[in-house]
Amino acid sequence: MSNAQIEIQLIASLVAIACAIPGTFLVLRKMALITDAISHSILPGIVVGFFITHDLSSPLLIIMAAASGVLTVVLVEFIQKTGLVKEDTAIGLVFPALFSIGIILIAQNANDVHLDVDAVLLGELAFAPFDRFMISGIDMGPKSLWIIGSILIITLGLLFAFFKELKVSTFDAGLASALGLSPVIMHYGLMTVSSITTVGAFDAVGAILVIALMIAPAATAYLLTNDLKKMLLLAVTFGVGSAISGYWMAHALDTSISGSMTTVLGIVFLIVYLFAPNKGLFSVLYRQRQQRIEVSLLTFLLHLGNHKEEEERHVKHLNEHINWQKVQSKSVLDLALKNNMISINNDIVSLTKKGKKFTTEAIDYIVTNKNSEIENMKDRFFLFRG
Amino acid sequence: MSEKIAVQIDDLTVAYNYKPVLWDIDLAIPEGVLMAIVGPNGAGKSTLIKSILDIIKPIAGSIQIYGKPYKKQRSLVAYVPQKGSVDWDFPTTALDVVMMGTYGSLGWIKRPGRKQKKAALEALEKVGMLAFKSRQISQLSGGQQQRIFLARALVQNASIYFMDEPFQGVDATTEKAIINILKELRKAGKTVIVVHHDLQTVPEYFDWVTFLNVKKIATGPVKDIFNDDNLTKTYGINYKVSVQQ
Repeated sequence: MSNAQIEIQLIASLVAIACAIPGTFLVLRKMALITDAISHSILPGIVVGFFITHDLSSPLLIIMAAASGVLTVVLVEFIQKTGLVKEDTAIGLVFPALFSIGIILIAQNANDVHLDVDAVLLGELAFAPFDRFMISGIDMGPKSLWIIGSILIITLGLLFAFFKELKVSTFDAGLASALGLSPVIMHYGLMTVSSITTVGAFDAVGAILVIALMIAPAATAYLLTNDLKKMLLLAVTFGVGSAISGYWMAHALDTSISGSMTTVLGIVFLIVYLFAPNKGLFSVLYRQRQQRIEVSLLTFLLHLGNHKEEEERHVKHLNEHINWQKVQSKSVLDLALKNNMISINNDIVSLTKKGKKFTTEAIDYIVTNKNSEIENMKDRFFLFRG
Repeated sequence: MSEKIAVQIDDLTVAYNYKPVLWDIDLAIPEGVLMAIVGPNGAGKSTLIKSILDIIKPIAGSIQIYGKPYKKQRSLVAYVPQKGSVDWDFPTTALDVVMMGTYGSLGWIKRPGRKQKKAALEALEKVGMLAFKSRQISQLSGGQQQRIFLARALVQNASIYFMDEPFQGVDATTEKAIINILKELRKAGKTVIVVHHDLQTVPEYFDWVTFLNVKKIATGPVKDIFNDDNLTKTYGINYKVSVQQ
């Protein structure tokens, strides 16, 4: 690997981490769409900042961009509060307006300004190593590495300091407010960090594809864990993993780096969405099938328990009595036999001791619904897992 | 019951978009009562609690907790919001939710430690949910979720407890368990204020009641004021409830 390649991957990884952290909270707050808005509406902030400094890497650009990002959120909330339109409509009204202001500003001053809309929106990671940060003639590395590195350090510092506050205000804003841990400050703090990160991610993926780095890793992690800290760690891992493998995919196919990174993110999400152990699509389908079989089994055992007369319990006539098809009767019969819940004597089915006990327990659960008493059963049966 | 006033509300008016939902409320809640707030849908019951807790800003009036504004008395107050007000798919455990009750006394930045964890475990035990401490909250039944919320309030070790419909969507067993804990709190001298929907159980559960329908209709001991007259004034239709003393 050349130096430039290492630098590119390092920048991409830092961007991925910096995005995954606010992204996790945005996903949990059901605010994924607001990143879309922010990523567009920071443009006028950048343009105004550039007019003032005439330097694309000036910190003022980042501050101005963050300000217009927060302005977006304020405007969206203001329009929403009038009660005349819903939140998604308010978002759809605000960000195109701000974005178009940015476009007009650039177009009007296009002659004397080296600001390219494509550069802002799409980014080009391959060029990042060429723009060096020099201190009195000494090369300190790529400028964008410094920018995203500083943003990441601030984000991490805020996360460690305010983890508890972020968690409670995301889960229960009412409680956070009552406890005096202002959810409003947390909200705007998160919005500011998201805006700053979006600007910082310019060189890597541009302002548009940054949405993928914020939302996809968090959404993927959400499917795999029930623990906020683990969700953050997983999101960071997915982000960095996709960034690096996306880079090598682009290398192999000789194509856009940001496009490849986003593609990998999408593929990783799809795989997890299908195969996640608990929340994955296949897992859910499997569980539903198991539940269906167990309900059938229980119905069957109940029928046996309720009928002393032999003609109701004859193997050949069972399907008529419970009104099932032959195949289903057969599979349920096999399942009950396999679990030693029934015995068959001269084609007459009877409940075994175990079968009786199971039926009573299950009925008790369904009737009383006392969770503490059937707690130990939950691991044995799908049926009770809700 | 002492003569001390726990919550004093004067001339409180709250509006959403300039439409008043609470109109000129005067209310004094004595220390040590177990009080129900009753009234029809949209009467402003939740709004009243949220205003007291400074979650909603009133357009007029004043609220005092033991003679001082809420902001100075936060540590004296615990709050159980409506169960539906949070996302139960949030990635966290029962124990962790109860620990959130300690965040107020911790203040900004400081993290919960062993002491907070011990308090949370004790609160879980009190509501009979210790066995579920590591359970992800979406895996709990409605009644269990409500118990977790109650434990979170208990861990705050407050003097005044505000609860927004704690019996909504819970089974009879949980309802009994919750009311027993509330009665214990009252015995320990705490003040408990509950937004309540089931008028039949008011005389059995509570000793104090406030009738609310945008305006305050009546407030006082259940045995004195829980009658057909006040129910009719509050709900606007002829109410006949047999009140057992």
